[in-house]
Amino acid sequence: MMAGFLRAHGYDPGPSQRPLLAGAISGIIGTVPAVAVLIALGSLNVEAEILQMSPLATLAAGCVAMAIAGAAYARFFGRAANAVKGGWLFGMSFGFALWATGAVLVLPVLSGGRAPAGMAAAGIALSLIIWGIATGILIPFVHRPLHESLDTASRRTAVGPDAAAAKRGPIREQRQGTRRA
Amino acid sequence: MIRIVALRRAAAAGVCGAAAMEIFAFASVRAGLPAVDLIGELNSIFPDGSPLLANAAGLFVHLAVGVCWAVFYAFFFWGRFHLRPPLQGLLFAVLPCALAILVVYPELALIRAHAASVRIDVASFFAPLTVGTVASLVVSHALFGLTLGAIYRRPVGYSVGKKPSLPAPRINTASRTKRKENATGFMFATGIECSYPTIDNGRWRRDEMESTGHYQCWQQDLQLAREIGITHIRYGPPLHLIFAGPGRYCWDYADPQLEELREFGPEPIVDLCHFGVPTWLGNFQNPDITEALAEYAGAFAERYPWVRFYTPVNEMYVSARMSALDGLWNEQLRDEGAYARAAWNLARASIRMSEAILKRRNDAVFINSESSEFYQPCCPDPEITAIAEAANERRFLPLDLIFVHPLSERMHDLLCAQGISEDDISEIGRREVPRRSILGLDYYEWNERLIDRGGRARALGELFGWYVIADQYWQRYRRPMMHTETNRVDDDGAARWLWRQWHNVQLLAKSGVPLVGFTWYSLTDQVDWSIAMSEAVGLVYPVGLFDLNREPRIVGLAYKHLIDLYRDQPGYADCAALKEIMR
Repeated sequence: MMAGFLRAHGYDPGPSQRPLLAGAISGIIGTVPAVAVLIALGSLNVEAEILQMSPLATLAAGCVAMAIAGAAYARFFGRAANAVKGGWLFGMSFGFALWATGAVLVLPVLSGGRAPAGMAAAGIALSLIIWGIATGILIPFVHRPLHESLDTASRRTAVGPDAAAAKRGPIREQRQGTRRA
Repeated sequence: MIRIVALRRAAAAGVCGAAAMEIFAFASVRAGLPAVDLIGELNSIFPDGSPLLANAAGLFVHLAVGVCWAVFYAFFFWGRFHLRPPLQGLLFAVLPCALAILVVYPELALIRAHAASVRIDVASFFAPLTVGTVASLVVSHALFGLTLGAIYRRPVGYSVGKKPSLPAPRINTASRTKRKENATGFMFATGIECSYPTIDNGRWRRDEMESTGHYQCWQQDLQLAREIGITHIRYGPPLHLIFAGPGRYCWDYADPQLEELREFGPEPIVDLCHFGVPTWLGNFQNPDITEALAEYAGAFAERYPWVRFYTPVNEMYVSARMSALDGLWNEQLRDEGAYARAAWNLARASIRMSEAILKRRNDAVFINSESSEFYQPCCPDPEITAIAEAANERRFLPLDLIFVHPLSERMHDLLCAQGISEDDISEIGRREVPRRSILGLDYYEWNERLIDRGGRARALGELFGWYVIADQYWQRYRRPMMHTETNRVDDDGAARWLWRQWHNVQLLAKSGVPLVGFTWYSLTDQVDWSIAMSEAVGLVYPVGLFDLNREPRIVGLAYKHLIDLYRDQPGYADCAALKEIMR
């Protein structure tokens, strides 16, 4: 539903933006408050124990995973990820989805049925939601300086005169009084 | 940005929805029914703390979760289904309810466990769920959804009695270069979408400048236009906010922007009336709008004497059709006679406004923008052909009046049937059209329409193209022309559409028609234009050169490419057609 909605609203970032890089950088920065929560609630050690890794290795793997997750978030949300007003919410919903799929479903499967419980489980949920909020807030600010300039981006062949011969889209009707997006 | 969200209203709706859930849980517990009390669940995670503090913390968390879901609803769900708002909320509640049952509630049980980790399988994970708890979760989420849906509605626009905040104050920055005067260069234009009709029988004001954030970001918007190379900008100060009554004006809604445009450009083509009138003037059926708008135009020209280009009334045909024939805006009538009255009033207003401006500035240039349309009968059925003919005559009515072209018999009789006298019609037909009048033609992919076997008008797409349709208008009026509006959804081939429209312009100019400019409309994405602004939904219509985060869209890059390519070419750097008008 969300993907269709985003597509309908022109979410494609276009050639001047670098969502993957901005998302990866923001995802890594977002791990700072998330790790603080993991450590404060004792979740990092529990996670490391379940994954049978050292806390440091767990942390390193987490950073890589969060960089990928940040890039995936920025690619999926496209232009919506650049919204200063809504970024926190989009990030938080993505963090919640990561928790629901990753920590709640995948982690027990990977570890043969072991799952965090007690405050450690609360810490993991909280850390992913905080990571999402931080990443969502950061992306618009991290992304802007990474944009290609108007001058160079507008010189690309894809936006030049050859575009007149590009593939044709469907005819759109201006609707009156219907609410479908 | 993907949708305009009224954040405060969404937050209030979320808080009320969560509160409704808590009241239900409290009542269920008191009645001895199975209930899921989230505050109680959260309290049990911290059993040693103060009960008051724990309750407050639990309540705060639940209300915060309610706010988050409400904002999510506002962004992604509201307005997607044509249902009453509470039912939309109810439908949406399926999502948080499913997540609560499948993920959150079982996970809360794990969190309450006094261990660092546990061994689980599917059966043990879902063990905390009973029929009673599931039923309680379903009912409480239904209450949440109904409350949320009932409260969150109309995220854009405002009640007609209200006013939005004044435009942000002008910030002086040293980096900008002064506006370059080039009175005869081809106009590479865009516009700031500024429509302000009323809907809901005059009770709700749509205001595109407010919805798109222009009042707050106007300085950035004008800077972006300059960065792309735009030479002229169609700009419509909000008439409904400025013109407070006879002789009363609130210029604060226009002063900062106009001052910036005067100093740094682009050159404005000022749009004085764009699909609406101030509340005190009612609607387009009111004949008094003629003199009132003339007064406003005169006052405007006096306050901003440096402004040279004007569009007195934007798209008179569309204004009259949408308001009096399609029943969507302002008077919201569906009547051929009401259409004729609106068209007559608007055309007379346009004429009187031009006269008022010329009294203050006799070299003013008028760009009379109109939607270029065409209706094709699908078959030789006389009834279908008659519908198409009537529609084709109707589209010309306002332009026939302002450009002194003989009216068709049908349109003439229609005006007379509305009590408009022969003398009044002949008086308009005898006047002299201002020499510096340009016919602006707007063109979208739905402007060519097929009258199908059912007598309905259906969009044909680009069947003949702007070249052919514009040529019909050229043959009829023989006025210098400008392509004053076009756009297409960004990821739907907007760049392709831009270049193809441009080639239409070039071909028409080559065939000898004096063409002075081209416009991609608008600078930023618009709001609710995919549904003709007929409801206050807040859907972003991604047709701008920039999105509402003010990031360039592909078509923005393409337009810059086009301008850079042609701006200094012979025939564009010094446009003969514009030179002739300006002499």
